[in-house]
Amino acid sequence: MDRNSIKEDGILEQYLLGELNREQRAEVHSILQEDPELKKHFSTMEADFERLAMENAIAPHPRVKESLEKALAKAETPPTQDSKVVPLKNNKRSYFYAAASLAAIFLLSSFWLYNQWQSSEENLQVLQNKTSDLQERLVTLEKNYEETNGRYQTINNPNVIPLLLTGNQVLPGSRAVAYVNHRTKQVVLNPQGLPALESDKTYQMWADVDGVMINMGVVPIDEELISLKYIDKAESLNITIEPAGGNDHPTVENLISNVYL
Amino acid sequence: MKKTYTDKQLIEQLQNDNKSALFELYNRYSGALYGVVLRICGDENKAEDLLQETFLKIWQKIHLYDPDKGRFFTWAYRIAKNTTLNALRNTKDLIQNEDLSVYESKSESETPDYSDLCGSIKKLDSHHQEALELVYYKGLTHREAHEEMGVPLGTFKSYIQQALRELRKTYQKELFLLWLLIETMG
Repeated sequence: MDRNSIKEDGILEQYLLGELNREQRAEVHSILQEDPELKKHFSTMEADFERLAMENAIAPHPRVKESLEKALAKAETPPTQDSKVVPLKNNKRSYFYAAASLAAIFLLSSFWLYNQWQSSEENLQVLQNKTSDLQERLVTLEKNYEETNGRYQTINNPNVIPLLLTGNQVLPGSRAVAYVNHRTKQVVLNPQGLPALESDKTYQMWADVDGVMINMGVVPIDEELISLKYIDKAESLNITIEPAGGNDHPTVENLISNVYL
Repeated sequence: MKKTYTDKQLIEQLQNDNKSALFELYNRYSGALYGVVLRICGDENKAEDLLQETFLKIWQKIHLYDPDKGRFFTWAYRIAKNTTLNALRNTKDLIQNEDLSVYESKSESETPDYSDLCGSIKKLDSHHQEALELVYYKGLTHREAHEEMGVPLGTFKSYIQQALRELRKTYQKELFLLWLLIETMG
């Protein structure tokens, strides 16, 4: 494409009428810029076409202008913004709002679920505590029951002989009950009726076998039943007051009670 | 008296978002552009919409207009023509999908009076008139128009050039007469 071909080949007319592609337009434009004479020729052609258009003008109905005024009044956006862009932006915005709403819903439901989970967790913890508490109590109760039952079995048995040891002049009014089972060779004592002693003293039980006092064990008074040593062929049971920790031989003057078997 | 601005001034105002400049340009060019749009599309209602669309595009795209590349009217003419051709292309597609025969008979029956041209072009030879009409008032490209006329592309191009030359002579003669008139009166 050069100056002559543009002029002779009808390219300038096509350029004016908008028939050329972008590349060709740029080429013609740059040639026109460098060639004042050709540019003048083009300007004349433009003027002729414009005059042709003016001669064949048809006045549009005034409503077109009114409608244009309304359309422009609506279009407060800058002229550089293509109207097609607006819905796209709105779209983007509405997508954004949709996403934000979903995120908010997700956040709220997560928060709610988290709260639910936390309170469930708390409830579970309370229940677990209660359960373990109950379990402990059950164990204690079972233990107590077994103990009580054991004691009951020990004393409420046809083979058991209950013996009441009442206090003598040394400790009048005191009393203890011994349960002796010769078959199982067991002796238990209920010391609840014995009065409390000074801290350096203790009760001790003895079995008399052929005139010899044999130690059966010390008697703490803070227990309900005390198991003691069973002594074969014992003729009597005796309780003395001895120094704390017990004695090897009974202090006879401190004998407070005895009972014959 | 209302001040008269040049096109250049109006375009500068329009490029600075002055809407009233657009209406001034509308007053100047809407008739010439409507003549083009209406002749291409052949339907008044549609042509009115397309004319409005054309001026909205001018408003939206005025920052793209470069006076170095040509006159404002040339630029506006291209917008009007392309807007109209695009609209017709879309309608044609729709109608052809339904029933081609209906469209063809309709377009023939609606051939309006305003397709007639007037002014200096009427003084040209008929083949020159037709050539100019096809490219300027039917919106055909050179390639489409030469087929329409049934002449080779080269011949068609020379028709256009000759037509323009003849048109130029008429305008110059008119200018001369006008000058003579003014001189005589003076």
